[in-house]
This record gives sequence, structure tokens and C-alpha cells, in this order.
Amino acid sequence: MRIKKLLALSLAGIMAAGLVGCTGGNDSKSGSNSKVDKDTLVVWTLAKDLETFGKHYEEKTGKKVKVTVIEPADYPTKVATALDGGDKSVDIIVGEPQMLKNFYEAGYFADLDALGAKDYEGKIVDYVWKVGQSDDGVQRAISYQITPAGFYYRRDIAKEVFGTEDPAEVGKLFESYDKILETAETLKKAGYKIFASDAETSYFSGDEPWVVDGKLNVSQARKDYMDLCIKLYQNDYTAFAAQWAAPWLQGMSGEIPQLTADTMWGVGEEGDVWDADKFAEATKDLPKTQVFAYGLPAWGVLTMKDNVGETSGKWGVCSGPASGFGGGTFIGISELSTKKEAAWDFVKFCTLDPETADWWIETSQGDTVSLIEALNKHAEDENAIYGGQKLYKFWLEQAEKIDYSKVTQYDTIIGDAWGAAISAIKTGEKDKDAAIEEFYTAVSSAYPDLVIEK
Amino acid sequence: MAKAKKESAPKTVEVKYDDGTVVTVDPSKKGKLSKRESTGYAFIIPYVIAFCVFSVYPVFKTLYLSFTQYKGGIGIEPQWVGLAKYDLTIHDPLFWKSLVNTVRIWGVNIVLQLGLAFLLTIVFIDIKYKVKGLAVYRAIYYLPNIIAATSIAFMFSSLLDPNYGTFNQILTEIRNLWVVIYNHIPFIHDIMHESGGVTVRMFDYMRPHAVRTEWLGSSKYCASTIGVIQAWMWFGNSFIMLMAGVMGISSDYYEASSIDGAGRWKQFTKITLPLLKPIMLYVGVTSLIGGLQMFDLPQIMIAKTTASYMSIRTVIMYLYQFGFGQNKDVGRAAAIAYVLFFIILIFSLMQFIAMRSEED
Repeated sequence: MRIKKLLALSLAGIMAAGLVGCTGGNDSKSGSNSKVDKDTLVVWTLAKDLETFGKHYEEKTGKKVKVTVIEPADYPTKVATALDGGDKSVDIIVGEPQMLKNFYEAGYFADLDALGAKDYEGKIVDYVWKVGQSDDGVQRAISYQITPAGFYYRRDIAKEVFGTEDPAEVGKLFESYDKILETAETLKKAGYKIFASDAETSYFSGDEPWVVDGKLNVSQARKDYMDLCIKLYQNDYTAFAAQWAAPWLQGMSGEIPQLTADTMWGVGEEGDVWDADKFAEATKDLPKTQVFAYGLPAWGVLTMKDNVGETSGKWGVCSGPASGFGGGTFIGISELSTKKEAAWDFVKFCTLDPETADWWIETSQGDTVSLIEALNKHAEDENAIYGGQKLYKFWLEQAEKIDYSKVTQYDTIIGDAWGAAISAIKTGEKDKDAAIEEFYTAVSSAYPDLVIEK
Repeated sequence: MAKAKKESAPKTVEVKYDDGTVVTVDPSKKGKLSKRESTGYAFIIPYVIAFCVFSVYPVFKTLYLSFTQYKGGIGIEPQWVGLAKYDLTIHDPLFWKSLVNTVRIWGVNIVLQLGLAFLLTIVFIDIKYKVKGLAVYRAIYYLPNIIAATSIAFMFSSLLDPNYGTFNQILTEIRNLWVVIYNHIPFIHDIMHESGGVTVRMFDYMRPHAVRTEWLGSSKYCASTIGVIQAWMWFGNSFIMLMAGVMGISSDYYEASSIDGAGRWKQFTKITLPLLKPIMLYVGVTSLIGGLQMFDLPQIMIAKTTASYMSIRTVIMYLYQFGFGQNKDVGRAAAIAYVLFFIILIFSLMQFIAMRSEED
């Protein structure tokens, strides 16, 4: 009996200890960072870049950094769960623009002004500096890169069809949605496709904020953008190559099979668009076409670099119908970090150090940094893939046109709902009125406090 | 199950347990636990602690949060807003749409799940078929139950892919075979034309043609598709329950009814079916509770950007959006959870009452 009682009590004890362990998030030694010594900086990131930055920081300073890369889809939940639970073990957290406003509101990012960020005002491209500020104007995060969007186009096709390859002249072919449709028609007649997919225009959609003074703003520009997407799809102006699928990447190096709305996700049993070899085999007998342009932010340079193949040197970059940007990793300090000074040193090293900026330009082979001093230093650098175009100068000009006040915290959900409506209309799933009505319902359900005037 | 032996002037009472142990209890120490009792309590303490921490506390915490405005964050406390979140939920058309979606999926699932389970039960209990190896079949039918939902989602996503999925490939081959039969056998061709109407229109376009049905991507099919997959996952479980119920029916009833001249069908409808009602009620209620909380399969299989997403989004997927999504509103997610709880409660009671009234 005594043994049984002892056994029962020890089981109870183990269970109780387990429960204490489960709720021990406040302890800095808990969780996945328990084996990290007290001087090591703990970084939670969704971009693998920071692993490279971390190693470089260790080499340069001799300080220790532990970088954990978390899947972007899981990142906001992971950060929220840890910090709401009082986890002090994380020092550096990051965010992409669409998640930053919620992170600021939740108080996850520490005040960088208190650590001296104000001294660096004007050294970083303006829109990036503002993205890193909470509504009260306090600096909370800084990015090492800028991500303005542009159209990457084939100079040889531009010369052949439009008689010019000059970025300024080609930019005029994309200056409005109507002009894009005109250009698409001309290219179709010449046997080319204007874009790889109809998603190429997404960075240039509706140049107005989604919400103005608490009211949903479905501007004419938004409606025009919807019409543009529908026409691009329904008139077969694009190559129906789904973004990031094999034909989409292959289009950067030249000819790709001519796909349709029915075959855009695969051709035959073996022709899965996500498997380049199988796709090539399944589509070898299909007629071929070439893609004129891709719409991507500045980081598209890195994607193009790996995929242009024999078309290297035949590319150019020009501006689009609106000034948009996409992505960018913003680095900040966890409000609960006990090593804020050390963490600030890491943030400064990654974002505000001219030597690091130079190193990153070389290491990444073309990423566009946000430090103005570095951009000016490299302004005259010519990029061979783009026929010697001075890309750093171009991206800086594009970034200066970005008006960050047009970005709202509602953008992701409202933008997704608008995208779903466009998708439903272009594929014939719903008629325009029904799809737009569903959009209004989705927005009012997600944000009941917004005023919606149809 | 204890028997107390009282003596004429007892200071203590001997309690004899079924296992033969005799424990002496002093009634004057009323309220104090005996050694044996305290050992028992010690054994259940771990479970009780876990139950309180992981079940009881979250239930009450969720109830509290459903009356608050709370988005999470460091140092941010929930703000009491009364019934505002319930008001919002009840007047939200997308909540009701997601409930309808959920019920549609569950409807397809339960009809197939119970139908298939019943069919198999009939086959296995009928002496005419004399099916051997019940245990093996039971294990095979139960297998889908123990496979992780993510694996099932991945498997069916591959099988049902509109372009290269096995399912559409089979349909394509069947269709092509039928086209050959239709075009080359005059007898079939004539019959089809004589029957006129729909069949002729269906095969008017007679040439080999790949079937590209969007089983998951189209609003028309996706709810039924998910329902069928759910039924495939759960019919083995229902089958085991029903078989257990059948095994529990005394053979006396069947023997007596045979003597009275009842056939197999009569025995099934008059004996088996009525006596299985409690099991059916259990299967129905548990399936309803699980079905209305459906989340994993549609969440994994249907991307947010798919055209069919709004037709497949279940209540829990909708709740998840507020609990963990971009427009986080924990209070609203909690209110949705409680509204769903009351809906499940009402449905379960209705099912219970309906079965009871039939029994009476």
C-alpha cells in the first residue's frame, strides 16, 4: 500500500512538474533557446538572409548569435504566442511590411529611438524608415533592403516590336492600365506574351489606400485594375505560367510552351508545372512562345540572376503604372529582451553599417540595400544581365516615389478579398456583381467597424 | 460494492471489498480519508490536474474572452464589451455561410458514413454470406482513422488534382472507352439516339477528351468531395460501433422470431435496427460534434486563393481567422466558439429527443 501511494504521489509530482514546465514561458531558460548561453543573441527570423548576417556578425565582432528561421506562414503566430506568454529569451524579431502594424500595436517591438535610432534619420531610404515606425512616430524596426517594384523586360523583344529598348521609352508602354492592354495586344500579334502570368501587375494595383478615415475606399483605380486582370486573362495575353512554377522561371531564359487557362497547372499526367524536368518532357511538342516582361520588386534581380541563362544581357528594368513595393525584412528588438543594447548593436550592424551594406551587395550578388550612402556609392555600378543598366540608381529613384501613407493595416485581408473577386470573375466562377458583393461581405465581416458605401 | 459488517456496539466498522481486502473504518473519524481512499485519490490527481489545466480552465477562459475586446500583445489586457461579440457573430452573414458549408460537408459525410457502415454490418451479420476474418476486415476498415489528417489531405490532393490526378485520369479513360463503344458499336449508338434527350446531348461531342473536373477547386464539388473523404475516414469507426451493438443483441430474440416465421429482413428491421438505436444515437451525436468542428482537411486542402474557398470555409476555419489571422480578434473567435457550442448542443438535444420519442 505504501509503495502504491508513493507511486501515485510521484506520478502526481511528475505531472505537476510537467505543468509547471509548460507554463514556464516567463523563464528566460525555457523553450527552444534553453541551451543558449546568456551572452548569445537569439534571433527569430522568417528570412534566411539573417543566418548569413548572423555569421558575418560573429566573424566581425566575435559575439555569438543564434538564428532560428521560422516558416513565414507560422511566424506571426509563433512570435505572438511567445511574447504574449512573456518569453524573454528572444532578442531580435523581424517582420514583413504587412505584419508590422499589428506587431507594433501589440507592443512586440522595442523603442529604437530610446537606443539612439533618431541619430540615423535620413541615412535610410525614406519609405523604409517610415515602414519601421509605429503610428506614434517611434522607430521600431529597420530594414537592410529596399523593395520597390518595376517591370523586368526583354530588350531584344522591345527593339523588335516597338523599335526601342530604352528603359524610359519602354516604361511608357506600361504607364497606365489601358496602355498595358494596348502593349499586350501588339505583342500578341507579334507572337509574344506581355507577361508570364496575370499576377505580374499585382505590385502596381490601385494607387490609393484601401481605407480612408475609417471608410472602405474602392477607387476607380482598383476597378480599372480588376478590369486589367480580367482582360489579360480572358484575352490570352499572358503565358499562363503560374508564379514560381517551372514555366514561369523558364520564361526568363527564353521559349516556353504555350499554355492556356486549362493547362496552366499542368499538361497531362506527368506534366506537373512544379517539376521542371517532367514538365519539359510533357510539353516538348507544344507550340512555343516568349515572355516580354515580369513585374517584380528589386529582389527580383536575385531570382532573374539564377534563371536568365542565355538571355543574360538582354534584359532591362523600367517603371510601372504605379509606385509599389513588395516584401522586405524589417529587423527590430523584442520588447521583452534583456539584452537590448547588444541587440541594438546587431540591428545597427545589419542595417546602418556602410561596410555591411557593401558586403551584402557583394554577397547577395545584387540585393538592393536601404542605406543611402551605399546606394549612392554603387549608383554607377552597371549590371551585365541588364545590358549594363545602372540598377541601384534606378531602384533608388523608384523607392523615392513610394508614398507609404497609402499602406494600411487592412491591406492584406482587403487585398486578398479583392484578389478572390478578380479570380472568380476572370475564371467565370461568378459574375462581376456577385463577386463584388461577396467582396463587400467579406470586408464587412472581417472589419465590422469599417464604413462601407457601395 | 462494499459490504459493511456492523457489530452490536461498534467503535469501528469493517468494510469488505470485492477483492477480499478488509479495511477497518472508525465512524467517529467521519470526513477523514482512509488510507485506501487517499491512495485512490492520489492515483486520479494527475488526471484531475491535467483535466483542470487543459480543459476546465480554457473553457472558462474562452467564455470570459468572448465578452471582451482583445487582440493580444504585451501588457494589453482584455477590455470588457459585454455581448458585443455575440451580437457581431449572430449578425454576421459569413458566420452563417460557414455554418451552412460545415453542415453541407457533414451531411454528405454522415449519410455515406452510416450508410456504408450499415451495409457492411448487414453483410457481416448475415449468416447467408458467412464472411470469415471479421477481425482482419475490421482492422482494414479502421485504418483510415489512424492516418494523420495531413497525410490524407496530401494523398487526396494528389489523387484529385484536376490535371494529373489519378481520379480524373480514370474518368478520362472510362470516358474514352465509352466514346469508342459509342462510335463503333451501332447497337449502342442506336439505343442512345432512340432514348433521345439528355444522353444524346451528353455524348454529342464524341471524341477522346480529358476529364478536368476541379474536385477541390470548384464551389460545385468541393463540399461533397471533402464530405466523401471524411466518410472514408470515419466509416470504419461507425462499422465497429454498429458491429459491437449487434454482437450485444441476445440471440434469443432471433431464435424466437425464427420460430415465429420472421425472415432475415424482418429480423433486421424489427430486432436489429430498434436495438441498435442507442449506438446509432451515439454515432450520430459524436459525428455531429466532430463534423461541426471540422477544420484540418479543408484548411490543408483548399488554399485561400482558390475560387472555392468561400464555399468550403467551415466555422472553425472562420474562427481560426480571428484567433490567429491578420485581423486578430480573440474575443470574436471565442464568441464564435461559444455560439457553435450552443448550436451543437441544440442539434444534439434534437437528435436525442427524436431518437427517444421514436423509442417511446
